[in-house]
Order: sequence, then structure tokens, then C-alpha cells
Amino acid sequence: MSDFTETGRVVIGSPAEHPKLVKMKGFGAGDRPTVLISIATALVLLGAWWLVAKLALVPHLFLPTPQEVWTQVGAIYNDGYAGASLYEHVSASLFRIVTAAAIATIVGIPVGLLMGLNRWVKGVLDTPIEFYWPLPPLAYLPLMIIWLGIGETSKVTLLVLAMFAPICLSAQAGVRSLPIERVNAARTLGARPWHILISIVLPSALPEILTGLRIALGIGWGTLVAAELIASTRGIGYMIMSASQFLATDVVFVGIGIIAACAFSFSAAIRILEAVLVPWKGKS
Amino acid sequence: MLKVDHASVYFKTRDGKTVHALDRVSLAIPENSLIVALGASGCGKSTLLNAIAGFLPLSEGTITLDGRPVTSPGADRGVVFQKDTLLPWKTVIDNVALGLKFAGVPKSVRRERAERLLHLVGLKDFAAAFPYELSGGMRQRVGIARALATEPAVLLMDEPFGALDSLTREQMQELLVSIWKETHTRIFFITHSIEEALFLGTQVVVMSPRPGRIVARFDLDFVRRFAETGDVRAVKTSPEFANLREEIRDILHGSEELRSAAE
Repeated sequence: MSDFTETGRVVIGSPAEHPKLVKMKGFGAGDRPTVLISIATALVLLGAWWLVAKLALVPHLFLPTPQEVWTQVGAIYNDGYAGASLYEHVSASLFRIVTAAAIATIVGIPVGLLMGLNRWVKGVLDTPIEFYWPLPPLAYLPLMIIWLGIGETSKVTLLVLAMFAPICLSAQAGVRSLPIERVNAARTLGARPWHILISIVLPSALPEILTGLRIALGIGWGTLVAAELIASTRGIGYMIMSASQFLATDVVFVGIGIIAACAFSFSAAIRILEAVLVPWKGKS
Repeated sequence: MLKVDHASVYFKTRDGKTVHALDRVSLAIPENSLIVALGASGCGKSTLLNAIAGFLPLSEGTITLDGRPVTSPGADRGVVFQKDTLLPWKTVIDNVALGLKFAGVPKSVRRERAERLLHLVGLKDFAAAFPYELSGGMRQRVGIARALATEPAVLLMDEPFGALDSLTREQMQELLVSIWKETHTRIFFITHSIEEALFLGTQVVVMSPRPGRIVARFDLDFVRRFAETGDVRAVKTSPEFANLREEIRDILHGSEELRSAAE
């Protein structure tokens, strides 16, 4: 800067002049909350349902009013339905899905991690997993029933198979997204292979694993209800199925509502789990 | 003493050609030294550091630490990487104590030692913070504390300040000198900044690419002068500093021109 031989007038903006703030236009939803919009939408949909049922635009047999469904909730809660109490139906379904999710997680995470880390494990297990996982679970449900009977075993096994693949594949993807520098750094700190697996690989893959678990639970609910429709004496799916045979549309609505509530709580639980276990997700 | 003796690393490219990433490089890192390897990208300085760290096997030659050959990574050679490699799920203090945890040091001892190191790098108030809450310079300071926690025989630094802005970078250089003075750790530091090399090195080795080799060595005392006086400006504006900077720039550019002439 010593090249300047003469000093010209230097104009410096006075502090009173505010610089113009140029705000970028985003393309997404931005950071303003959307909860109110969602609640309003729910109310509008509920109102539309009530109106359509009230004006009898659809035969009453096919579409009960919201009040009738609500009354039916109370009735089923007090008296049960199709030979079992509401508690028994719900707990039968919950038992199946929670047991299956636990087994799929306990087996899926280590298998997925090993597939991500070892060429042989991946080579051997890729064939069966890639073959079976795109199949719709209902396609092999008859096989489960033939092999394992119509009891709990066949249903839980079906669910485990349906939920295993997304968990296992996401654990594998988690290993693949692990930065190699992180492993190298651990090795220079004296980490043994066991340390690397437990302290580096598993936590690094955790965000992906939780995403996989959420997808698995979604698939699980779909499969569970379908399985209960076919062979069962308890469960929410069975309740819907027997109600439909008597054209008890209001009971069908109650069943659907319970499934929606359960699936929503599971999803919310995973979200809480994510906030507790991986608060660093997307921030590093 | 860490000794690199006629170390060479060859790669075979896909079309069958052999690339000499490192060609018969010899180097010693004695007690109390701060050796800086300086050169443009592709001159083999990172290859050399990776070989010393044990990530990369040598094609020829040997690397020994206190007489024992280096074959794999270990806690006796701490590494500070250019990219921050802190674990995002651990607090700052747990990150610093990670190597001690791997070594089976009891919790109270490792907390106490990690706290001392955080104090040394000026981050004692951030022990409970998570890495994503810190700036880039602070994260590198945690990285240095973490590498020092296992009391390595040598600290290897792979362009640790390369991603920082120039003001932070100068602060970090001064911090590093004070750490070096306090802990007496041997340091091997690589950079592509001539100023950084001159300011930090007790010895600067200038490297040149294709094949990666050492073309010049300078024994310097700028860092010791700064460590004694604490006066950065006096060191960096001294005529010797400026002359050496030009001399090294000529060497680097000269090797660049030679290479393009040969091609």
C-alpha cells in the first residue's frame, strides 16, 4: 500500500447510514413453525367429514359421523369387541411389534455394522438380504403360516423379517458415511479394533440407524395389521377385520384411529430418542 | 529420537506408471525440535507424515522411534489433522481424555489431566461444551490438547491451521510455540506457508514434488527468539526473516520451473 503518492479524499460512510439488508429468499418452508397450519388443516378435515356425514352425501352405513365414532370408542373401551377387551386387542398388537422391533434391532445393528466393515460378511449376506427385502411381507406370509403355524411365532417372525432389512441397511450406510480421518485419529490415540467398533463406528452410525428404525416401525405397522387380518383372534387388525364383516363402519374407524395414534407415538418416541442420543446430527 | 532413513513410497497408477510420492527422504526429529516440512501440494509432505504416523507403509527405507521401527499407528505419535476429527457426541473434556480412556486410565486421573491440558490451550471454560459449539480455531486447540493427552514422544501436525483465517492462524502459531516451550514435545509440522514455516521451525525442510524429496534444509532460531522475547513483530519484520522468505520462495519457484521445463 506504500505505492500511493498522493492521498485522495477518502469517503467513509457515516455510521448514521444504515447498510441495506438484503434478505435471501429461501425456497423451503423456512424456519417459521408449521404446527398451527397443521392443526388448522386437521380441524378443516374433521369439519368436512362431519358435514358430509350430516348432510348424508354418503350413505350412513358407509360413513358414520364423528360423534358416533367417538361414542363407539367409549363402548369398545367399556365392553370390548369380538370377544376381547380393547386393552387385549391393543396389547396383543403392541406386544408383536415391540418384540419384533427389539429382535430386528438387536440382530440388525451388529450385522449391518459388520457388513459395512468386512468384505466377506457383506459378500455372503448381501445375496439373501437383497433377494428377500424388496418382497412384500404378505407374499411370504403363507409360508410363515405353513412353517410356523398361526400362533404368535409366525406373526413375530414375519415382522422381524420386514423390519430387519431397513435397520441392517441403514447401519451399513452409517458405517459407509464414517469419515476415515475419525478412525485414523482414534488409532493414533491407541484405540484397539474393539474400541473403534464401540466408541467410533457405532456412535457415528447412530443417526442413520435411528432413521432406519423409524422406517422399520412404519413398515412394521403396515405388515402387522395385514398379518392380523389374515390369521388372528386378537389385535387391532383383527378387530377391524371382524367389524368390516358386520359392516360396523364406526368400529373400523375406531381401529384405524388407534393404529394412527400408536404409529404416531412410536414416531414421536424415535424423534425424542434422536434429540437425546444424537443432538449433534447435522451440526458437525 | 525419531529417525526417517531413506524413506521411499511408490504408487502404481492405473495405467501402470510408478509414481514416486516420496523419494529417499532422510530426516531426524531430535529432542526439543520443531521440524517444519514446507512445500506445494503433491511434494510428499503429507505422505511423509502419514508414514511417520503409521498409516502408510514405506516401499523402501525405515522409520524408527527411539530405535524401534514404526509399523502402525500408536499413542506414542500424536497427530493433529487439518480436518477436525473430534467426536461430535463427546464433550470437549471427554474428547481430550479419549486416548487416556483407550489406555485404561481411571476416570478421575484422566479428567484431571484433560483439565490441565485444556488450561494449557486456553479452553478451560469450555470443558462441558460440545465440539459443534466451538469455532474452527477452538476445535483445533481441542485437537492439540487431545493429541498431547497421551504424552506422545512426537506430535505430528498435518497443516493444522490451513483452514483457519489469517488472524486466528497467527494466534494459533503463537499458542503452539508456548505449548512447545512448556511441554518440550518434539513437533513435526507440515505447511505450505513460507511465513508459518519460518516462524515455527527450528529446522525447515523444503520439499519438491515428482518425486517428493527434500531440496533444502535451514536451521533457524526465530522460534527460540520469539519464545524468549515474546515479540512477534520484531521476529517477523527482521531483515533475516525477509531475506530467508525470499530465498525459500526462489527455491520453491525454481523447482516448479525446472519441473515444467522437464515436462
